[in-house]
Amino acid sequence: MSSDSLEQRTLSAGIVGDALKQVTRNVPRGEPPAWPTNAELQVVGKDVKRMDALDKVTGRARYTFDVQLPGMLYARTLNSTVPHARIKSIDTSQAEKSPGVRAVHVLERLLQAAELRDPGEEANEPYPVIRFAGQPIAAVAATSARAAEAALDLIRVEYEPIDHVTELEDAMQATSPPVFPGPTEHHATAGGGGAAKGLPQKGNLRGPSKGGSRGDLERGFKEADVVVEGEYRTQVQTHTPLEPHGVVADWRDDELTIYASTQHVLSVRDEAADIFQLPKEKIRAISDYTGGGFGAKYGIGNYGTLAIHLSRKARAPVRLVLDRREEHVSVGNRPSSLQRLKIGAKRDGSLTAIELRSFGTGGVAAGAGVGSCHHSMYSCPNVSIEHYDVFTNAGPCAAFRGPGQTQGIFAFEQAIDAVAARLGMDPIALRDKIDTRDADDVRARAAERRIGAEKIGWSRRRASGSDTGPIKRGIGMAQSMWPYIVNSYTTCEIRIQGDGTVEAFCGTQDIGTGTRTVFAQVVAEELGLRAEDVRVHVGDSRFPPGPPSGGSRVTSSLTPAARNAAHAAARDIASRVAPLLNANADDLIFRNGRIERRDDSKTSLGFAEALRRAGIETLVHRGDRRDDYEGYARKAGELNISPHAIGGVQFAEVCVDTQTGAVKVERVVAVHDCGRPINPKLVESQIFGGVIQGVSYALYEDRRLDGPTGVQLNANIDQYKIVGSRETPQIEVHLIELLGGQSSTDARGVAEPANVATAAAIANAFFNATGKRIYTLPMTPANVLAALRAE
Amino acid sequence: MRSFEWVDAKSVDEAASLLATTSATAPVIAKAGGMDLLDLMKEGIVQPARIVNLKSIPSLGDVRLEMSGMQLGALVTLAQIERHNGIRSHYRALAEAAFHAATPQVRNAATIGGNLLQRPRCWYFRNEHFHRIAEADHSEHQHHAIFENQQTVMVHASTLATPLVAYEASVHLTLGKGSSRTVALKDFLLPPSMQRDRDTIIADGEILTQITVPPIQPGTRCAYHKQTERDSYDWPICDVAVVLQMNADVVASAKIVLGWVAPVPRRAVESEEILVGRRIDELSASEAAAAAVRSATPLPKNAYKVPILEAVIKRTILAAR
Amino acid sequence: MSVAPHHPPGREAPGTFGPEPQPLSLLVNGEVHTALADPATTLVEFLRDALGLTGTKIGCDRGACSACTVWIDGEVAASCMTLALDVRERSITTIEGLSREGELHPVQRAFIEHDALQCGFCTPGMVMSCAQLVDSNPDCTLEDVKTAISGHLCRCGTYPNIFKATLAAAEMTRAAGKKK
Repeated sequence: MSSDSLEQRTLSAGIVGDALKQVTRNVPRGEPPAWPTNAELQVVGKDVKRMDALDKVTGRARYTFDVQLPGMLYARTLNSTVPHARIKSIDTSQAEKSPGVRAVHVLERLLQAAELRDPGEEANEPYPVIRFAGQPIAAVAATSARAAEAALDLIRVEYEPIDHVTELEDAMQATSPPVFPGPTEHHATAGGGGAAKGLPQKGNLRGPSKGGSRGDLERGFKEADVVVEGEYRTQVQTHTPLEPHGVVADWRDDELTIYASTQHVLSVRDEAADIFQLPKEKIRAISDYTGGGFGAKYGIGNYGTLAIHLSRKARAPVRLVLDRREEHVSVGNRPSSLQRLKIGAKRDGSLTAIELRSFGTGGVAAGAGVGSCHHSMYSCPNVSIEHYDVFTNAGPCAAFRGPGQTQGIFAFEQAIDAVAARLGMDPIALRDKIDTRDADDVRARAAERRIGAEKIGWSRRRASGSDTGPIKRGIGMAQSMWPYIVNSYTTCEIRIQGDGTVEAFCGTQDIGTGTRTVFAQVVAEELGLRAEDVRVHVGDSRFPPGPPSGGSRVTSSLTPAARNAAHAAARDIASRVAPLLNANADDLIFRNGRIERRDDSKTSLGFAEALRRAGIETLVHRGDRRDDYEGYARKAGELNISPHAIGGVQFAEVCVDTQTGAVKVERVVAVHDCGRPINPKLVESQIFGGVIQGVSYALYEDRRLDGPTGVQLNANIDQYKIVGSRETPQIEVHLIELLGGQSSTDARGVAEPANVATAAAIANAFFNATGKRIYTLPMTPANVLAALRAE
Repeated sequence: MRSFEWVDAKSVDEAASLLATTSATAPVIAKAGGMDLLDLMKEGIVQPARIVNLKSIPSLGDVRLEMSGMQLGALVTLAQIERHNGIRSHYRALAEAAFHAATPQVRNAATIGGNLLQRPRCWYFRNEHFHRIAEADHSEHQHHAIFENQQTVMVHASTLATPLVAYEASVHLTLGKGSSRTVALKDFLLPPSMQRDRDTIIADGEILTQITVPPIQPGTRCAYHKQTERDSYDWPICDVAVVLQMNADVVASAKIVLGWVAPVPRRAVESEEILVGRRIDELSASEAAAAAVRSATPLPKNAYKVPILEAVIKRTILAAR
Repeated sequence: MSVAPHHPPGREAPGTFGPEPQPLSLLVNGEVHTALADPATTLVEFLRDALGLTGTKIGCDRGACSACTVWIDGEVAASCMTLALDVRERSITTIEGLSREGELHPVQRAFIEHDALQCGFCTPGMVMSCAQLVDSNPDCTLEDVKTAISGHLCRCGTYPNIFKATLAAAEMTRAAGKKK
């Protein structure tokens, strides 16, 4: 990509309806002109109905789960029954002879886990060492699922057990059985994941990572008028997408097609290319529909590796879909945390010192940090952060909607709340005092606090523990901060046929976020069409490269690229149609399905008619996502991270039954920014989803392991508890429209901000209701009664 | 699941004689709604060689409410119980328990007979892994018993058993060919065990055909409450059924049954004794509830159940007035 | 493992099936379909694998998430916990059979209108439960809706819009009823 020359433009920035100011930016030549506010647009900013809704409500939408190819075989995985062991031998001979079996494969290397820095330490092991109960070992492909399962029973594995450890606080001890015999690295693969390189490791403790530390902590605490200290614990949460991880792998001659339930088709292609040493152009990854991912569905994983091996051996398509137990255990979770947080503040609320010592276990994977809010959210000159990953013999972690930050904000926003309480300050007034960086999210949150306080009825809030009697009500709030990320690559292609058909292509995916719809809206806006007139194609690695559906970055990356492609197409069409309307190309506008003269709207042609009259057969235009006009604060791999973040403030009203420990979240007011909302209805749906996952994380979800065996006890849907219809609070969403003057659409994401603050808001509401603080999640009756009894 | 032979039984006698052929190596198992059976099969805990379908037997699905009491055929579904106007009026605690059990889909299929015969929901029991190793030590016993828990900590899973024991229900069993016996429900249920293939005294070849409940006397008040972590659907922390025989506004007799806190539904006799002869009010309800939990022997991880049970007992007593 | 044969081997005994697969006929969406199935085949397996009706999903295979919801004689059922042989005499309706002659059910229209779906995997089962409620009780309240879908897991968290959509569909059904 050549860097075009830049030109200075004046753009609007700020909160629409509040205070828009004019800013000067250096914009690449050729970028479309800035859009006005949503009120003045035709399709963007409107509640266009989700474009794949019809397919979904009729059952016509085909997920990887539904792919049925001729001659397809069914694969099932053999998983470890012990939590820690060397494998001395594996005998698959009987399984290979079992009726219906066409291939068997034993895993040679375990993906998604940390690996020894010095592989020599386990070089003599014939098979990957087992490090968690449920670790995949091998798989069988057969003519029916029943035949595959019967064959699994015939595989003989000889284990040599090693001592194991499942609890975080046990694994931290120097005397704990080590999960790894030496220091580890966790490399990012094409499938994602990864942790900082080269960190020291002693036993199961890997770290510390100290990123974000600054200033002089000791002096900071000396300057403080009040110091608030607390130890917070959060649980392991599993993603539980309703569609389990799975692939249908079809290896034909030297070409590989992979249908995958994924958030990133390119990661499926690239990881398969890596592992199987295939050129990328020989691999096609397809995901028309993905039944939820929430961060866990990147790459091909161990299950995909097995399926591809089986397909190659059997010379047939192989379907390998995890069952619900495997889904809970082996493909990702949100790590637990133990956070010791100490905050010093002056009487006027200004923060003088933040000290965080945190530990987290992602099982056999690294990456259990607790976010960046401590050093990036509020003004504080002295910050000390030390985080350790703690390995345990449990399933690997994976990014989960607001990874790290959700755990971190739970503790941090409660600690800030506690500072407010100590100072006798209103929690909102304290945020006004300390949330002061020069950034869009700060300005957004200021507005969001005001709006949310009014909507929840913050003035009704009473002193904590006011209700006499066993039922106590309270109101609390918490703030969220999430990086505004732009993917380092996004290209869209638009094809327009002479009959007026408009198609838009991008190798991104729609995992329920509404990507198809916002894509169509942006293209339609530029071409003066309705969203329904644009046929969108996503979910295929053969399309121009698009962003992963993660990091809340699709809308911010995709929409400018889409607009740029549509803009180029519109300019092209205008130049060919202009003579027919006796105009210059620059004098034509696309509106209401027509191309008209700006100065005389009656001189116009219908879109399809114009193409026909201009003799257009096919037009193809591409558009790239250019860098943000203000640039980025930093780049990390595929991530371009803006100096501005995405905000969000949530208010919760809870009812606590202090005799039964039951907590009911009655109402949540969620006020959010996402730049320019392309489709407010879809944004609202995303926020509903984030809030509900946050309520669920706060109150119910908890992955439980049996200590002696390392087996997950609740690897199902009835005892791993998730918010259902009766737990859903009344949720009110308010969006602010925030223009940043950063791109040709100024759209940002919202999925993760929606999830990050909810548990903290609920915990702060609990404090307001009862006068007691929640230091341990989830807020089960057992934990709540313990909190109520604590000093 | 592995395949098996399926037989549609046409009569109780036929079903009984088929079931009598069961052996350890070739289990023959009865299927009613199949809700518990399919779960056990999918978890690999039970592998029938032959399944005897009871739903093809015509006479087992009736609800009869008469002056002499209530008879529920074993195949009556939880949905039928939940919706039956007569049961909702006269045996309200049972209708409540049915309404709050499982999900609407499961209630449409699950039968009262299957519900009483179901195996425990203990997460060690429901995992085939723990049937293979020597003995699960139940270190995660948050959902387990707080009474009578020296030998076994698992609790019976049926929530309908709680009000049925309070209503003094009996079950009717037959080995076919005219033999039959009637057993009080409270004596029918056994403390769950992983060493047995059943948690009731049902014999091989025996079929549970009917549940009978004595008639409700005038002046009966009842209430049922199931306390859960999640309201949408969930296994209970505890459930409580209260059936009071009133003499004007004074308690003449009381049946208070506690579920999911002991291996089998537990009569809170201490509470019942406190209430007899007294009015129902805050004081009597509090005293009764406190008495019920005094003898609790909680384990390290389930002590939280004790205060919750006490609160639920008190509230359910007050709700029955 | 073997059982004493119920009937002499080689003779086709009425009411005896398996363990090998045999032809099984089920009435699905108004049509009789016949396919080979062994007795351990669940209804959802029969629908998806034997009949290619992949609209009905499997989320947990234990009756705990309700993604597999179909109608059996117009009542909601967990098809993953129903053996195919158990519904020989019954009438099955799946998501594919909900719309009549290409006309969407009011609940389907309302789900689209109110964005009552995100990833969509729970949607077919959810629609079946909500449609059953609206058809049988067009006067349903919010509490009734919450009860009707109390067995459903929607991990994406669309419940608020599901409530709105179902109540709107009930309203449409009441209005249509009044017009008759």
